[in-house]
Amino acid sequence: MAKNLSGELHVASANRLVDGVVVFLGDAGDWVTDIARAAVARDGRAAEILLHRARAEAFTVVEPYLVAVSEDDEGALEPLSLRERIRVSGLTFHAIAADAVRYA
Amino acid sequence: MPDTHFYRYDDYDRTLVRERIAQFRDQVRRRLAGELTEEQFKPLRLTNGLYLQLHAYMLRIAIPYGTLSSRQLRKLADIARRYDRGYGHFTTRQNLQLNWIRLEDAPDALAALAEVDMHAMQTSGNCIRNVTADHFAGAAADEIEDPRIWCEIVRQWSTLHPEFSFLPRKFKIAITGSPNDRAAVRVHDIGLRLWRNPEGRVGFEVIVGGGLGRTPMIGKTLREFLPREELLAYLEATLRVYNRYGRRDNLYKARIKILVHEIGAEKMRAEVEAEYAAVRDGALRLPAATIEAIAAQFAPPALPHRPAIAAEVERLRLEDRAFALWLRSNTAPHRLAGYRIVTASLKPAGAPPGDASAAQMDGVADIADAFSQGEVRVSHEQNLVFPHVAVDDLPEVHRALGRLGFAEANVGKIGDIIACPGLDYCALANARSIPVAQRISGHFAELARQHDIGDLKIKISGCINACGHHHVGHIGILGVDKNGVELYQISLGGDVDFGRTAIGTILGPAIEADRVVGAVDSLVATYLERRTDGERFVDTYRRVGAQPFKERVYAAV
Repeated sequence: MAKNLSGELHVASANRLVDGVVVFLGDAGDWVTDIARAAVARDGRAAEILLHRARAEAFTVVEPYLVAVSEDDEGALEPLSLRERIRVSGLTFHAIAADAVRYA
Repeated sequence: MPDTHFYRYDDYDRTLVRERIAQFRDQVRRRLAGELTEEQFKPLRLTNGLYLQLHAYMLRIAIPYGTLSSRQLRKLADIARRYDRGYGHFTTRQNLQLNWIRLEDAPDALAALAEVDMHAMQTSGNCIRNVTADHFAGAAADEIEDPRIWCEIVRQWSTLHPEFSFLPRKFKIAITGSPNDRAAVRVHDIGLRLWRNPEGRVGFEVIVGGGLGRTPMIGKTLREFLPREELLAYLEATLRVYNRYGRRDNLYKARIKILVHEIGAEKMRAEVEAEYAAVRDGALRLPAATIEAIAAQFAPPALPHRPAIAAEVERLRLEDRAFALWLRSNTAPHRLAGYRIVTASLKPAGAPPGDASAAQMDGVADIADAFSQGEVRVSHEQNLVFPHVAVDDLPEVHRALGRLGFAEANVGKIGDIIACPGLDYCALANARSIPVAQRISGHFAELARQHDIGDLKIKISGCINACGHHHVGHIGILGVDKNGVELYQISLGGDVDFGRTAIGTILGPAIEADRVVGAVDSLVATYLERRTDGERFVDTYRRVGAQPFKERVYAAV
């Protein structure tokens, strides 16, 4: 259950059912891969409503939950926790290229 | 190349796996159609080794006792290319994890696996997991008996065992057939060590209640000597006692190590022995013919006589520094003169430990076919092993591994770091592991320096579950999350090799990520200043204690 919601910004996130890709609930109730298009809850009450909406739209995603975010002057959203930043940005190192032998 | 000297699935095995895939295919279809909720589906996908991680589904593929044929390895490469992003991660339990599987592709990936007699069953859940073994099994010079025979017997007994599919918690068994434990048997739920008693009979020392994780413990010997034919009866008795008394009220106290700790080894032994007495002469007593039939499948390959000393090897040893270092650290004695066991280091400096691309897997399979009887092993230290390499083939194997990037002469050295996937992938992690490992191995990339430092095992976990075995690292590094900041706790003095199993001691307060490399550098410098001839890092630590190391690491704080 959501906690410490007062005064924080939140988006709703989940993993897409078919492939596990990270998604966010958009304003139109659709699930989007770009956090910039996520619906933002700006207070505790709005966050609770957002989570209810996310759960109601969860047919194509797995286990929606709230993610605390910050917003800069241009409106860009960034999750507060490292875990969620990694979910947005992907691996923090370069994975092996599929058919490259790296050090030949 | 045909699969010889491997266990080969029979019709029963193949039917079981085929039926399981058909069931799972239908379960996936129903989930995607909305006929199953996630709550209903999750245990079904986990039962088939399919986890949901941070970015995608992860498929954990069982590699029984760490043994792969070249054909199986090529299939793993093929699956990684077709259904994933073309690489995989070899784990500390001798498995392979594919990190980017689509749910809709998972049944096809499992069907492809089944073509080479492999599956992902029991790589999750509160059941008996993949049984691990000494990665030098069947080849080691010090081996009493091939432990894979017994791993296979346990695999057949434990697969879909109805009584043990809902244990209080997951259950891990490791078996070694050598006095020099390379399978970490004392930190498993059950560890089995084959040894020869004074009467000349081979049997098992049964070690119960070891484990790492939140509460690290070294297992207790419940049985000094168990006749081999009574193994399953004793395992069944132990699991039955655990099933009856194991804690189901607290996730963190549910492993058998907590039960053994709470009731004591004596009480545990009495309970197990009473149960064992009731079942030992029943259906679980292994007939000699059954043991012989399984043992025959692991009959060693017919290795032709080869010279113990090869002129080209001796020439390169003198003229090629990289080859000489590799020979020293990455090859080990074989039971036959004229052969060596070769370890391919999946730890190139600055690379993610244990990762291999599909191209590299294919390359390793080619080397196995040409130089190691078509056989590869996965070690719990996340390297790949060629068990049967002729001495005079070593130069060519070294060159071939060099082309793949797996010839780094660092096995057992500071660059040969164990690391879990950590917060880059794992839904359970608190901190990253791989980037820390990359920075450390990059910092100590110079191989001559690594060899001067000597045997030093660094093990890194991204959370308290300790998949990176940090408790038994000479230097253990545990990532923790403190108010949203990644910090790393360092422990010293852990060990898991050669019967010297020890749990490390925390050095002091956790430090920031950007200080970890400096801290390791300080630890190494302290050791180099104080070591005596022949002393490993961990020996010096035990002799002089933590204080000098602690003072150096925290001097700048």
